[in-house]
Amino acid sequence: MRALVVEDDQVVGPDVAVALREAGFVVDLAVDGDEAWFRGDTEDYDLVILDLGLPRLDGLSVLRRWRGANRSFPILILSARADWTEKVEGIEAGADDYLAKPFEMGELVARSRALVRRAAGHTSAVVTLGALTLDTRRMSASVEGRQLRLSPLEFRFLDYLAHQPGRAVSAGELAEHLYGASDASDSNAIEALVTRLRRKLGPGVIGTRRGFGYLLEGHSQ
Amino acid sequence: MKVRSLRLRLLLGAAAAVFVALSVSGIALTLLFERHIERRVEAELTNDARRLVAGLSVDAQGQPHASTLPADSRFAQPASGLYWQLSTPTAALKSHSLWDQSLPPFTRTPSDEWQTRTAAGPFDQELFLVQRVVRPDREGAPVLVQLAQDRALIGATRNEFARELALYLLVLWAVLAAAGWLQVELGLRPLGRLRKELAELNANPSARLASDHPPEVEPLTQAINALADAREKDLEAARRRAADLAHGLKTPLAALSAQSRRARAAGATEAADGLDRAIAAAGAAVEAELARARVARLRTIPKRAQTPALGAVERVVSVVERTDFGANRVFDVDVPPHVLLPLDADAATELLGPLIENAARHARRRVKITTRDGDVDGEEIAVEDDGPGLGGARPEDVLGRGARLDETASGHGLGLAIARDIAEASGGSLRIHSSELGGLRVSVRWPAGARPAESARQPAQAAE
Repeated sequence: MRALVVEDDQVVGPDVAVALREAGFVVDLAVDGDEAWFRGDTEDYDLVILDLGLPRLDGLSVLRRWRGANRSFPILILSARADWTEKVEGIEAGADDYLAKPFEMGELVARSRALVRRAAGHTSAVVTLGALTLDTRRMSASVEGRQLRLSPLEFRFLDYLAHQPGRAVSAGELAEHLYGASDASDSNAIEALVTRLRRKLGPGVIGTRRGFGYLLEGHSQ
Repeated sequence: MKVRSLRLRLLLGAAAAVFVALSVSGIALTLLFERHIERRVEAELTNDARRLVAGLSVDAQGQPHASTLPADSRFAQPASGLYWQLSTPTAALKSHSLWDQSLPPFTRTPSDEWQTRTAAGPFDQELFLVQRVVRPDREGAPVLVQLAQDRALIGATRNEFARELALYLLVLWAVLAAAGWLQVELGLRPLGRLRKELAELNANPSARLASDHPPEVEPLTQAINALADAREKDLEAARRRAADLAHGLKTPLAALSAQSRRARAAGATEAADGLDRAIAAAGAAVEAELARARVARLRTIPKRAQTPALGAVERVVSVVERTDFGANRVFDVDVPPHVLLPLDADAATELLGPLIENAARHARRRVKITTRDGDVDGEEIAVEDDGPGLGGARPEDVLGRGARLDETASGHGLGLAIARDIAEASGGSLRIHSSELGGLRVSVRWPAGARPAESARQPAQAAE
């Protein structure tokens, strides 16, 4: 597992690097935006920890350049600012998670592991079902070439349906899979999730079989 | 206060100036009038004298005789104030009005021309005299012809005129003073408007004085506007410095907490605990300062700012869905695309951020976001969750700054309080109820026609 830590502070940067090494990562440390961009552009990482307040080239610009060049490694943003506008900018620029300073090192390690697990948990990178394409590494989907950003829950929902070809999956089973346990009230949550996904994906992707459940339409036809 | 005294000065100045001018013209008019009367009297006396001279003869003894006398009856009435006298070196002929008295003797070089003079006369009268020397016969003695009138008669006429003139001038002064008052009123009216605009500027730092003031006031309003700009800039700079300082402290705090971890690893648990407490306190102060700066910045929401609600909600949801606790929540967004929030985009994000994050943190499965687009009742946006809800706590406790619904949940308690500040700065209000889903329903409602600037109040201080 290779990780790139981009942090200009002389204490925090090495500290993060040490913590990640203890967690089993091979860590490179970059201390300014130019260096970070160059390394991320030329080498393959499984994870990038990116501080936004960087000298020479700010973190958001580095992030946009990487995503513009189709670098798809998961990125965790470190930010000294706590305002929502910056969080939104970071996520919209393509970050996968954010952590506000000051943070607990344990939380940083836990989130890093979660990001890597999400991205690496799939054998095939891309699943195509009719009009729908799922990119399991980026946790994103596209419908007829239109890119969509999905939440982890939404992605897991689609991923599960994609692996049940042609079978209508009940709300109870979906809740069981998504939440680990389920009760009667969870079908409401699944219903709301389907409504939201249908709005994102457009009509004709998620079908309903009354009395049975949901399925992806690409399979049956 | 200042305007009132300015008005008084202008009024007193105008009244005094008009009074002086009218007094001077009153005196001048009276003097002119007196000269005019004297000329009339001179003309009348000369006319009478010509009648006397026409019938004048001198006998061998040098006694003058007059065959034609002036018609005025006052010449016959003793001490009447109107006299004539014909005198030769040896004898004299006088009007009856002189009785046994004489006109003052000739003091200047005798002249063949009519002369006027003023001299003391009989009966304690000051006389205005007309006189001339004539020779009725070429060889005969010269005759001094004198006619006189009492000056008191002239003075009485003049005084009567002066009295009437004074009365008239007094009325004129009153009229002019009233005109002056009107002028001052009209002239100072723009200052009254200026005062009103200044009061507004005081209440709302982003207000400015209008640019359509009279040219005389314009430099003043420009200077005041420049001052207000400078003040606002200073304030903004101070806020930014405070925020920068707080930002700047975050990384050193992270470094300190690394040191604390190292100390703990090396066995210095007590020292690490102390360090951690200090770091937590400093971190809380930094958060509070940043929240204050953020709210202060968002308070300057432009009038009539509007942001589509759906876009703002989706942006915030896209962040929250990537957090630990948000990753497994369903975000049930029921917001029609045409609904607008009376906030700018940043403020909408900062308002919705804490609300949606808070709901996601406490939700079991679902977070529901709804709006009501009331053209009549105003806009409302509500965030609900299906979590445990208030559990007996009062809504005020939740809203109290720094208070958290769930003290064990990690997350800063400033969030809801910030959201409430932003809601109130934009003329709305934040309410907490129980949701039909089982958890909390936090709603922000803006009454119809809410305008941020009108409902502006001083920002609530962020808690330490």
